[in-house]
Parts: sequence; C-alpha cells; structure tokens
Amino acid sequence: MTIQQAKADALAARLGAGAEGQGGSTQQSWLGAAQAAALARVQGMGLPGKRDEYWRYTDPSTLNVPKALSAALFDNRGEPRPFSAVDRLKLVFVDGVFDPAQSDSLALEGIEIERLSQAAANPSHWAAGLYGTLEARGQTPVERPFAALNTAQADEGVLIRVTGKPSRPVSLIYLRKSVDCDAILHHLIKVESGAELTLLENGPAAARLSKVMEVEVADKGRFHHVRTQGRDHDRRAISHIFARIGAGALFKSFTLTANGRLTRTEAFIELLGADSVAHIAGASVGDGDFHHDDTVFVTHAAERCESRQVYKKVLKNGAVGVFQGKILVKQGAQKTDGYQISQSLLLDDDSQFLAKPELEIYADDVKCSHGSTSGAIDDTALYYLRSRGVPLKQAQSLLVLAFLAEAIAEIDDEAIAEDIRGRLEAWLHRHEHAGNGQ
Amino acid sequence: MLEIKNLHVKLADEDKVILRGLDLSIGAGEVHAIMGPNGSGKSTLSYVLSGREGYEVTDGSAKLLGEELLEMEPEARAAAGLFLAFQYPVEIPGVGNMTFLRTALNAQRKARGEEEVSAGDFLKLVREKAKTLKIDAEMLKRPVNVGFSGGEKKRNEILQMAMLEPKMCILDETDSGLDVDAMKLVSDGVNALRDAGRSFLVITHYQRLLDHIKPDVVHIMAAGRIVKTGGPELALEVENNGYADLLAEVQA
Amino acid sequence: MAAVDMEVRDGVDRETIETVQAMSGSYKYGWATDIEMDYAPKGLSEDIVRLISEKNAEPEWMLEWRLAAYRRWVKMEEPRWAMLHYPEIDYQDQYYYAKPKSMAVKPKSLDEVDPKLLATYEKLGIPLKEQYILAGVEAPEGERKVAVDAVFDSVSVGTTFKAELAKAGVIFCSISEAVREYPDLVKQYLGTVVPQSDNFFATLNSAVFSDGSFVYIPKGTRCPMELSTYFRINAENTGQFERTLIIADEGSYVSYLEGCTAPKRDTHQLHAAVVELVILKDAEVKYSTVQNWYPGDENGKGGIYNFVTKRADCRGDNAKVMWTQVETGSAITWKYPSCILRGDNSQGEFYSIAIANNAQQADTGTKMIHLGKNTKSRIVSKGISAGRAQNTYRGLVSMHPKATNSRNYTQCDSLLIGDKCGAHTVPYIEVKNNSSRVEHEATTSKVDEDQLFYCRSRGMDEEAAVALVVNGFCKDVLQALPMEFAMEAQSLVAISLEGSVG
Repeated sequence: MTIQQAKADALAARLGAGAEGQGGSTQQSWLGAAQAAALARVQGMGLPGKRDEYWRYTDPSTLNVPKALSAALFDNRGEPRPFSAVDRLKLVFVDGVFDPAQSDSLALEGIEIERLSQAAANPSHWAAGLYGTLEARGQTPVERPFAALNTAQADEGVLIRVTGKPSRPVSLIYLRKSVDCDAILHHLIKVESGAELTLLENGPAAARLSKVMEVEVADKGRFHHVRTQGRDHDRRAISHIFARIGAGALFKSFTLTANGRLTRTEAFIELLGADSVAHIAGASVGDGDFHHDDTVFVTHAAERCESRQVYKKVLKNGAVGVFQGKILVKQGAQKTDGYQISQSLLLDDDSQFLAKPELEIYADDVKCSHGSTSGAIDDTALYYLRSRGVPLKQAQSLLVLAFLAEAIAEIDDEAIAEDIRGRLEAWLHRHEHAGNGQ
Repeated sequence: MLEIKNLHVKLADEDKVILRGLDLSIGAGEVHAIMGPNGSGKSTLSYVLSGREGYEVTDGSAKLLGEELLEMEPEARAAAGLFLAFQYPVEIPGVGNMTFLRTALNAQRKARGEEEVSAGDFLKLVREKAKTLKIDAEMLKRPVNVGFSGGEKKRNEILQMAMLEPKMCILDETDSGLDVDAMKLVSDGVNALRDAGRSFLVITHYQRLLDHIKPDVVHIMAAGRIVKTGGPELALEVENNGYADLLAEVQA
Repeated sequence: MAAVDMEVRDGVDRETIETVQAMSGSYKYGWATDIEMDYAPKGLSEDIVRLISEKNAEPEWMLEWRLAAYRRWVKMEEPRWAMLHYPEIDYQDQYYYAKPKSMAVKPKSLDEVDPKLLATYEKLGIPLKEQYILAGVEAPEGERKVAVDAVFDSVSVGTTFKAELAKAGVIFCSISEAVREYPDLVKQYLGTVVPQSDNFFATLNSAVFSDGSFVYIPKGTRCPMELSTYFRINAENTGQFERTLIIADEGSYVSYLEGCTAPKRDTHQLHAAVVELVILKDAEVKYSTVQNWYPGDENGKGGIYNFVTKRADCRGDNAKVMWTQVETGSAITWKYPSCILRGDNSQGEFYSIAIANNAQQADTGTKMIHLGKNTKSRIVSKGISAGRAQNTYRGLVSMHPKATNSRNYTQCDSLLIGDKCGAHTVPYIEVKNNSSRVEHEATTSKVDEDQLFYCRSRGMDEEAAVALVVNGFCKDVLQALPMEFAMEAQSLVAISLEGSVG
C-alpha cells in the first residue's frame, strides 16, 4: 500500500463515520457549494500520515480515527472560569452545538452575529464569498487536510461581521457534557475597515475538537484574540486560524494551553497590506501525558509589516512540546520586521522539546530573526531569589512565570492578562509536586 | 551576631579545599572587613554562608544569633537575617525589580510570622529608599539587574538590603567595577543602615572602600584562614606594603 | 556578459553594480587541461562498477561491497526535500570513470608524473613538489609543510611527503592504494560512519567511488604537517566520486585541508563525495574545505552539482572534531558535515561560510547528534546570498536522553545582497533531557549601507568596501581556518561576490 493510498483510506474511513460527507451538502446554497469544494480539496490530500514532514513531531493517528476516543470529563472544582471578571457578550456551545438558552442575546452595537446554519439560507450573505476561501489559501505550500475536512463537514459556527467598535468583547464558551463526542466548529470573522473586535474563547468543547476560524481584517481594522484551551486532561484538539490582514491593520492572538493529551494549534497568517502588524503568541504548560504542538506560518506579502511569534512551553513529567514556525518574506516585501522566539523550560529529564523554527526570505531590506532555546530553570537565578528569602517552590514559580512573561505580554488588555497570569499561577501551584494532579 | 568556628570547606565536585579552619566572631553593631589576596577564599566564605550549591562543608559551624546557618536552606538564612550583597548580582529577565523586592520582603515576613506589607505601604517604602540611592522609577520597573550598569547593579543590591533590613550583611567585593562617585553613593547607602542591631562583613581587595565604610576590625585572610586581625590600621598597612610582606611575617 | 536583472534603489547602488559587473565572470580556475583520457563507457551498470574495481586492482571483498551498494542504489529515490531546484539528473548520461592515459601505469614517484598534469596543479597554485607551503602565500614563521594528495578526475596523481609522514607512522595515500596496501584498516572502518545505505548519493558513491584520500594517524601521534587533498574535475560529462577516510587513533591529532576546482563547462557535472572521520579517545581532527567548483555562468548555465555526505564519529571520550567550510562554488550544493558525539565529553564544531551568487543554490548545514554525557557543540553559519541565488541553512541539533549536561550553541546569520535572492534557515532542534542547554539564534539582514558608506568615506572603492564588510560578517568562521586557507578564503569571498553589490 502506498503512502498516498493509506492517507486516502484514512480519509474514507473518517468520512464513512459521519452521517454524510459534508455538513451543508443537502442544501443548494453557497455553503453547500463551498463545502463540496472543500471535500474535493481534502480528497485530493487524504489525511496526514506519520511520515509527513509537517507531522514529523506529532502523531496524527488519534485525529485520523473515525470516532473520537473517549475522554474523561474534567472537574474544575468550582474554580472560576476564564474571563469571568470580564464584561463580555457570551455565546455558549455545548458539545459543539450552540445553546441559545445559555447565551446572551446576539445583538450588540457595531457587530452582526449569526449562526452558520442560519446564514446559509441567505444567498447574498456576506460570508458567501469568504467561507472556505482563507482555508483554501492556507493549503499551500503545505497541506492542512484537517482544515479542509472541517470546512467540508462543519454545520456549526458563528459568523461575525464587525463594522464599528463594540463595547464588549465577544466570548465563545465551549462546554462539554459528552465523554466521546466529536465537535466540528467553523467560525468566520470579518473586521471591516477601521472596526475593532476582541474575541475570547475558552473551554474544552469536545472529546475531540476540530475548529477552524477564518479571519479577515480589512485595512485599519483591529482584531484581538485571547483563548484558553480547556484543561480537560484527556481531550484532543486540532484548531486552525487562517487570517488575511489588510493595510495598517492589526492582528493579535494569544493562546494559553494547559493540559490536554493532544493539542495541535495551527495558524496561517498573511500580511497582505502594507504597514500591518501580526503578533501571535502561546504559553503552554504540560505535566505528564501532554503533547502540545504549535504550528505557525506567517507570510509577509507587503512592505513595512511587522510580525512576532512568541511561544513558551513549560514541560514536566514526560510532557512533549512542539514548535514549528515559519516566517516567509515574499519578494518585494521590503522593510519587513519579523521576529520569532520559541523556548522551552524542561522541569525534569523526561520531558521533550522538539522545534523547527524556520525563516524563508526573498527580500533583502528586511530585519528578521529567530531564536530557540531549551533548558532547565537557571540555578543561579534560583539561588539569588532564595538568598533574598524566597522559598524554593515560590522561587521556581516566579521564574516559570518570568519565563512565560514575554508571551503574556502580547495580551494588550491588562485585566485579561492578569486573568491569564492568575490561571498560570494556580496551575503551577497545583502541579508543584510530581504527579498528575489536574 | 555571627560566630564561625573551625570552618572547613571544599568544592563539591572536586577535591579542592578552600577554607581550612576559619574562625570569625562578629558582635552586634560591629563592622568587620576581610581582606586578602586572590584565591584566599573570601568569596567562598560569603557563598557558603548564604548557602550556594557547589560547596561541601567538611567541618566546623557558622551560627547567626545562636542558630546554625549551615543546615538551613538559602531562604531560611535570609529570613533569619542574613544578607549577601553579591559581587556579580544575577540578571533575571522577565522578573520585575518591584515584583522581586515585594516577593522577597513578604516571603521573609511570612517566614518570621509577620504580616505581609500592603501594596501601598510597599510602594511608599521602596520609593523612599530608592530615592536616597538615586534609583529612579524606571530602574525599579525594569527586570532584575537586566541591562543595569555595574554601578546600578550594586546600588540595587543596597536597595534590597535597605528594604529587607537584615541583621547580618555581607558585602562581597561591592567596590569592584565602581567609579569614585558610585562608590560614595553605595557607601553612603551602607552607612545609613549602620546601627547597634546590625553587623557588617565587608569583603574587599582594596583599602579604598574602607575609607568610606569604616571598619571596627580588619582581618587578613590567606589560604582559607584568618591569619591576622587588627584595627583599621591593618588595612592601611596592606595598602602601603601589599600582602606579600604581611603574609611573610605571618608565616615566619 | 548578461546584464543582471536587478532593481536599483539609488544612485550609489547603480554605480556599484556597473563597476562590479565590469569585473564579473572572473572564476579563476575555469580553464581546461588538454590531455588524452581513458573513459569507461557512459552510464552506470554492474559492469561499470566491476570495471572501476578492476581498474583499481581491488580485492574481491571491495568489489562485493561496491556491488551491494549498487544493488541498493538502483532501488532508491533521489531526495527532494532540500530547497534546491534543478532538472532531473540523467545518471546514464555521464562517465563514471576518467583517467589520463599517461596514468595508465601508475608513476612510481612524482618525477614520473605527466608534465601536463604537474603543470595543471602548478597553474592552480598547488605545485606537486615537496614544498613548504602552498604557492601564493607568504611563508609564515617557522617551517610549515603541507602534504598534498592530488586527485584528477577519477585518479590520484600523486601524494607528496609520503616518506616523511611514514617516519611518524602516519599513512597518507590515495584510497585506492589503501584498499590494496592496508586492507585491514579499510575493512575495519570503511562505511562505519556513513553506512552504504545512508542516503541516495552516499550509496551511489559507495558503488562507484574511484579515488580519494586515506589517512591514518597512529596512537598518540601529532601529525607533523598539514595534510591536504586537491580535487580537480577536468573531463567533460564526467562525475567525480571521491571517498575520503580519516582515522585518528587514540590521542592523535591531524589538520586536513581540502580544495576543489573545475573548468567552465556548459553542461552540469555531478560530484558526489563521501568523507568519513573516525575519531577515537582523546583524538582531534580539524577538517577544512574550500569548495570552489565551477559555479556556472550568470544565467545558471553549467556548473557542478555537489552532493556530499561528510560525517565525523567521535567514538571515544574527549574526542574532538572541527569542520570548517567555505562554500563558494558549485551550481548546487547539498552538504551537511555532521558530528556524532558518542564519547563522553566529546566536542563537535561546525563553522561555515556559504556564498551563493547569480543562479547558484546552496542547501547546507550540519547535524550535531549528542549521545554522550557532557558533550558540546557549536555551530556558526554565515550565509551570503546575491544575484538570484538561494541559500539555505539546514541543521539538526539532537540531545538524546542520555546526553546529560550537554551544550549546544548555534548562530546562523544570513546576509542578502540585492532583492532577487533568498536566504532561508531550517533548523531542527530536538531536546530530550533537561540538564542540557540548547540555544539557537538566527538573523537575516541586508548588507549594511552605513558600514559600506563608512568604508567608502575612508577611501575604499565600493567593491573593496563590500569585500571588507562581508569578510567582517564572516570573521568568526575565517578565524577557524588554517592560515593557508584563511587568506585564500578571504580573497575568494570577494571574488565570489563580484557583480552582486546592491
């Protein structure tokens, strides 16, 4: 059996497991057409194999299998959920299905919010030309079969069009009740010229989550994104962000990942207009059976753009952290300022850091750099802190938080950043001792 | 205050003996200076007292106010009142100077069963102390010692000393890398902290620091031991004649 | 000469480009030697493998080894993961063996070598006399001798200073001679660092290698002089497949230099070499390369396809290896000199300058495989891209679970000259224990206009200014070269960049 055949078979098995190949295919709608195109895309690729260069450090097999593997529900022991202190418009999904009863009214000044399934009925909906378009762009130079599969199969998600400056962030909350459900969510966000949105996401969503978010930020638009991926230990998740950024626009995304048997977080960001800015950051903390993979691809296709990728991983008890990141500077994208840092702090000898930080540059008047380091906590810094009276555990926590600080600094809103810091501190406190406390 | 008896120390990883039966006794409110040539074990003494890894105590004791220091974790020694101003203060990227100071202060207070200092009181206190050391607000915001000049680092050490109010302060070659103005600033900071309940051990290579911080007792250290003890005049003797004559005299 | 298609940003740049273009195309070693050759028939088959073995009068075991490699190679696919674009290579459309007719009977000494061949090396600045230093370089303090093995197409022409080296117990000869004279050593070590199955090009080399150098440094011996091999491809449509094996026995030391050139030809020529270094306990090897194969013309016509597998195995504790390379030639460079740090406390270093101008493409770097405790590695890579060239650093740093307390430091800098070229960095970092520390830093920038201006304001012309600035950029690596090569490399850096300033 050839490798290609194995990939095609894996896809066939996965498609066979669903009620049908594609989500909205029963409708003669723009959504149906886009999903049929996506299905053709993924059929041309098959599902990833272990030998694929892009899956070098992460085994895709549990994402490939037809049905989600069972994952125990997580008890957060009454701890406040993320962003609970933030005034926000809440949209709640349970096991991947929108729950109007738990959600706020979708009305908010300067913004239109709609469910994907409802929008499909409107033939002249703004999403008609956009759904699946950014995902399709993101299929070169590297194939992302799970994203195409998501586009083909999704029948849930929100479409958000921002025309002004809404007074509150929009918050997507993914609750989970089932131990073995798959969830497929596909969101579409369009930030119109000069508009501004802060989007928050939190929660585990499902035993196995596939999520795609397509984000278009028009000229001078501003998009802030902060998410925490649910602390459920057993869950598996693959999510993609595809973003297209216009002139003078801003895109900022931060992700906190704590726990999770398998998390692959991909981002494909194109800076298409001059003077635009994209910052993407991640902090992840893993203890034990934890495999976390950040795969990031930033393309500079216009002049004077700035991009930053900041990824920090704290790993213990055999946890594995993966970073694959690339800055691509196209010919003509002069005066590019590109920066990428990926670092891991290994708290013991069992943990692993696997990284492939790449630069691919076709313009000369650029300033691009990347750095990557791996090591243990600095003994000298630890001793210095202790000599000033800080107890060992506290000193370690302080240094771990200092290590993560550069990633958290990418969150503009100080209250949200403080929320994230608090969650990290709590996590570190719980995981001070060896073992697998949640 | 500090009572060191027959202290023997070797490197943990190598068979190199550094301290060979050192005795030292410092009373409350006293300022002692230790001088000595390179490699005599001066810095090792400060590291061993503060609990740095890499050294093995093979014999002897060091008691602070009657409590055995050598068995304690570094943070417990700090809580007990010991403070080492480092020769090479450590840079800690990502940890703000203020966070560092406040964490340390509250940790020590907690260890001693005292109440934590409120954010407001802390801020007031740190601003006041920083001002006398000419440490500006910007420096307080920066990560600990990162990007600080040599002089700024040493001033920062003294600021920590002023904030933490230790009982026994060890200054390890605090004068190294300082120009005359910076040395005066640092010395004034130290002198302002002198009182009847606080003792100092000033480790230095040169006599010039002792012009600013006047010692009560001067010790000469060589080959891991105190070989001579005297008054401030001993430091001048070293300054004028060097260590060679003095050591020759001791060995004779 | 074709005008270089390049956008010009300001007046200074245009003037520079014109000045430098006027001097371009100055590959110094592009002439050919007119000499009668014996060729094996074109193409590759078992018969050709047998013929090469027969020409070298090899024992049966060597032939069997080659045939095993050939049979494996037939089933392999050419790797395509590098950032290199070139048309499919027709492995049947080349000669795998070419030998000057005058070498039919192996000369007994250098005096018997065909004067045409001696003149060739003389002209290349490598006279095959037992001289003290390479030509064109002033004599440094004291007496420095360099022994040379000269390889011309498929055969070794001669090796200097053999007798003097033999006195110290050092064996320095062609690999074909070693197969006959020192079969036990060759059998014991050949293919143990780069196994036959390693990769497509190494397997090909294992089947068809014709000559190359062999070095053995006995226990506790410091090699009394620098050793060097000079490779020359002369014949048309002919591939060169040399194989080098260096064994540094316990406590020994050797510094080895390698140089390579080829005539200007319109067609691409294949070079697929394998270099194996075996470094035992407490031994140290320094291996320096100045690779100056014909790079092709401004439009990418002609030039050598250079696919090389080089690897050092630090088998014993405290073994040390240092790779230094200056890669200025070849149309395609595919080369990753690597270090297996097996012994505890062993050390690997890799210093590289890779310059790609015009239509050249380079994909080069290193692998540092840390297996032993307290192992250290250092990588300093300087890539310079100009014209329409593409230059990629590709590297792997791997810290195995048992390689505790190990260190790696990697610095990869790329310099871009002109807006049509590319510079890429593809490092793989795999850390599997926490007492080891890995640091990787990479930067990409353009040649600094302020530095250029500063140099010019002090009276340098722009070409000199660029050469100076680029040499400054490469300084860390140039310093790692033996003196003889450092000076040659410096001027090579300048020559390679002619016609590139922007």
